[in-house]
Amino acid sequence: MKQVQIKLTKDQIQKLLLSGMGFIVLLYVYFSFFLGPLNSSRDSMLHQISDLQAKVAGSKNETAKTANLEKQAVAATTRFAALKALSPEGAPIAWFPPRVRTFFASNEIDKATARMETSSPFKEKDLENWTRYSWIIDLPQADFSTLGKAVAALENNEPLLSINRINIKALPEDPQFQQIVLNASTAMVKR
Amino acid sequence: MALHLNLLHEEILQQRQRQRDPLKIGMMVLGILGSVMVAYYMWNAYKTLEIRNRLSQAQHEWAKDEPKVTAAQKRSAELNGIISTTKVLDGMIESRFYWGPVLEKLSKCVALNAQLTSVDGAVQDEGKITLTVEGLAAGREPRAAAEELRQLLLEQLGQSYNSVKVEFKSLEDLDTIVNISGASMAMARFTIGATFATSAAKPAAPPAARTRTREPQS
Repeated sequence: MKQVQIKLTKDQIQKLLLSGMGFIVLLYVYFSFFLGPLNSSRDSMLHQISDLQAKVAGSKNETAKTANLEKQAVAATTRFAALKALSPEGAPIAWFPPRVRTFFASNEIDKATARMETSSPFKEKDLENWTRYSWIIDLPQADFSTLGKAVAALENNEPLLSINRINIKALPEDPQFQQIVLNASTAMVKR
Repeated sequence: MALHLNLLHEEILQQRQRQRDPLKIGMMVLGILGSVMVAYYMWNAYKTLEIRNRLSQAQHEWAKDEPKVTAAQKRSAELNGIISTTKVLDGMIESRFYWGPVLEKLSKCVALNAQLTSVDGAVQDEGKITLTVEGLAAGREPRAAAEELRQLLLEQLGQSYNSVKVEFKSLEDLDTIVNISGASMAMARFTIGATFATSAAKPAAPPAARTRTREPQS
């Protein structure tokens, strides 16, 4: 077999080196400025597509879940609206004392007065839109039976009111009647 | 063997050298590689365009759905808030203490020969209730009448509440004599302290009409 021996001249070696460098530059330019950005843009778009598809799929779930929740929450919504309706518009100090006076008057206890003691926010996160008000309710004269009926009616009619302290004292001049002081707290919507 | 003379030796050598020119060969290889790379790039660019179309479709779909989803999420959060707030409020309503039943029980304990002058009740922490009852009892044995009231109160409260304790804080005879139904009777002043837990407290009917009380005679 005949062995071919290629002898390169200095000029040829220089040209070969030049071609090699050109090749390397071509590869660098191709991958860095053409194929690389194209691939990264494609990957980013694929990522965006999968994100959007997940969102669209999630949105269908979300809409269905909300519709379901809406059905389940009918009772809670009605109850919430009823509880919220117990706090009319305006400052409680303006409407609560007249309401108490009217209530006790309709239960045969006259001259009832209510004064606000304190108001403070609730600690519970769920009640961040509600405020706790403490009231002192004075009933200057009532007989025990009427008082009991009125207190029971108050507790049943005002679900957000709770009596924390009750003080009943017989009137010295007429022991048939008592003087009553109620310390009550109520939850009211912030307006 | 015939003698063969190559008179164009130099020209042929030059031609061969031109053909073997590394720069030329390199340029050819570069050209082929460049063409392959351009073709590959074009293929990728085509794929990318296709993906861009898919992306714009997905974006369009999402743009249609997004307002609905945002509204649904908002409504969902609102409903969850309503549900949890209602639960907490219901818990507060259920756990509050009702004084109506206590007043009813108290009214059942006071007999004709006893009179309450003061009742002080308070809801303490951890659902404990304290009740302080002050009054007067009359009878041949006024202390026994007061004890009867204490026993009755213990019995009545024990029917509905837990951990009931009813104890005298003070019980003292008075010099005052009262006249009940034509009979003179001695009197005693008492203070009863009661404590109980709220667990079984439920709203009940208002108290029955109180038995008639009488005024002490001095």
